[in-house]
Amino acid sequence: MYKSVKVNHGSGGWGGPLVLTPNEKTNKVLSVTGGGIHPIAALIAEMTGAEALDGFKTNAPDDEILVAVVDCGGTARCGVYPKKGIFTINLTPVGQAGPLAQYITEELYVSDVKESCISYSDEEASSPASATKAETPKAGAPKTKEQARKELSDMNTGKKPGIVTRIGIGVGKVVNKFFQAGRETIDMVIKNVLPFMAFTSTLLGIISASGLGDMIANTISPIASTLPGMLVISFICALPFLSPILGPGAVIAQVVGTLLGVEIGLGNIPAAYALPALFAINAQVGGDFVPVGLSLGEAEPETIELGVPAVLYSRVITGPLSVVIAFIFSIGMY
Amino acid sequence: MDIISEIAQDFMGLFQAGGDTFVSWVTGIIPMVICLMTAINSIIKLIGEERVERVTRKATGNIITRYTIVPVLAVLFLGNPMCYTFGRFVEEKYKPAYYDSCVSFLHPVTGLFPHANAGELFVYMGIATGITTLGLSLGDLAIRYFIVGLIVILIRGVCTEKIYLYMVSKYKGTQSEEVAENV
Repeated sequence: MYKSVKVNHGSGGWGGPLVLTPNEKTNKVLSVTGGGIHPIAALIAEMTGAEALDGFKTNAPDDEILVAVVDCGGTARCGVYPKKGIFTINLTPVGQAGPLAQYITEELYVSDVKESCISYSDEEASSPASATKAETPKAGAPKTKEQARKELSDMNTGKKPGIVTRIGIGVGKVVNKFFQAGRETIDMVIKNVLPFMAFTSTLLGIISASGLGDMIANTISPIASTLPGMLVISFICALPFLSPILGPGAVIAQVVGTLLGVEIGLGNIPAAYALPALFAINAQVGGDFVPVGLSLGEAEPETIELGVPAVLYSRVITGPLSVVIAFIFSIGMY
Repeated sequence: MDIISEIAQDFMGLFQAGGDTFVSWVTGIIPMVICLMTAINSIIKLIGEERVERVTRKATGNIITRYTIVPVLAVLFLGNPMCYTFGRFVEEKYKPAYYDSCVSFLHPVTGLFPHANAGELFVYMGIATGITTLGLSLGDLAIRYFIVGLIVILIRGVCTEKIYLYMVSKYKGTQSEEVAENV
């Protein structure tokens, strides 16, 4: 009754094609997109005969997930599932990006997927091979690593290296770690920090040069320079139906933060208000990511079901409360 | 002709302003961030994840340390988004609260340790550039952001834990009622 489908990437997308073949065990299409099951996830479920699940309401064990459908802009979600060896369909045109970019491979990941990208797979024969492909590295990788480590320790016990060699090896190890750290840092700056700077500075340039900045200064500054105003901002950000929408990639918090920074620099908002403002604009932090974060912590599906609303409700209280605490702590600053 | 060239001039002016901002960020923020991130990434590699895990396991039992030490270590050593994986050391019923506390620390940490969440640096940096423009030092803001963050994640952890446990007890209550009715 199960059928295989083939998923190609869209015009601006990357990765794939993936061949999805459900079986008795692996037969869940997990839609981690917010706002119910995405039509693409529903379509795949219908075509393959698998079951579509809303990742925000429930969850499934990793080995039952046939494919995860996400709408990640390139920060975290797009890498989480490939890291676990699960096929991932991203609805946005994002390639290898984010802190987990190294796990995003063409074998596991496909992006910018539209309905037209999905078709029944012609070669039924090739599908079992690609389905097992995802599982073999999972089982195989740690074993070989252990073996290699064992071999290495066997080799080392056989001979006692001299003091000079040992110092040499030690220094080499440390230097290597520093170099690796440097490479990761530069990667991070190029892949995440610089693109965001490019986007925000362009936006800011347009806002300030076009005169929109004065409008913002006249509307936002009076609100953000009083305690009640900031409490209102944090309360709005924490509303359970808004926080998952405001959350993704912290993009909104980052843009608003930058705009407020400009106003602080101009003297329209007192400098000491920087601290409470940091909490006011960020009451929604991670509201979009609760189910994924919980499944990374190996939570049971039942925990996720009630955990998502628990976190969102809690924010309505703790969001404004954090502004008050920050306000108290900002006394005497600057 | 003059009008057209003036329009073109204004059009390019929009992006000239953006370019100036971009250069000031690249020269003003990035060099420090790169060196700081490299240093801290090296220290983390030298200490190693296993040792941090051992400390973390011990800290999960107590309600105070569960929502302070555990998320702080997780965020500092694993960063976003792998810090949530430390949730596996926490008892099942505390996992939502741990997540809340962990995710809420991802921005307060960036003032002092930008490596932990470099992709979302501008929540802090955006506001911080305003302070720099005024010629004030950032140390005060960064350290206070960190301390308040610590207090907030503790409160969030405790609060979410209570709400979650309350919801679970209610949910279980309604379920057993339904069962009773069916019988």
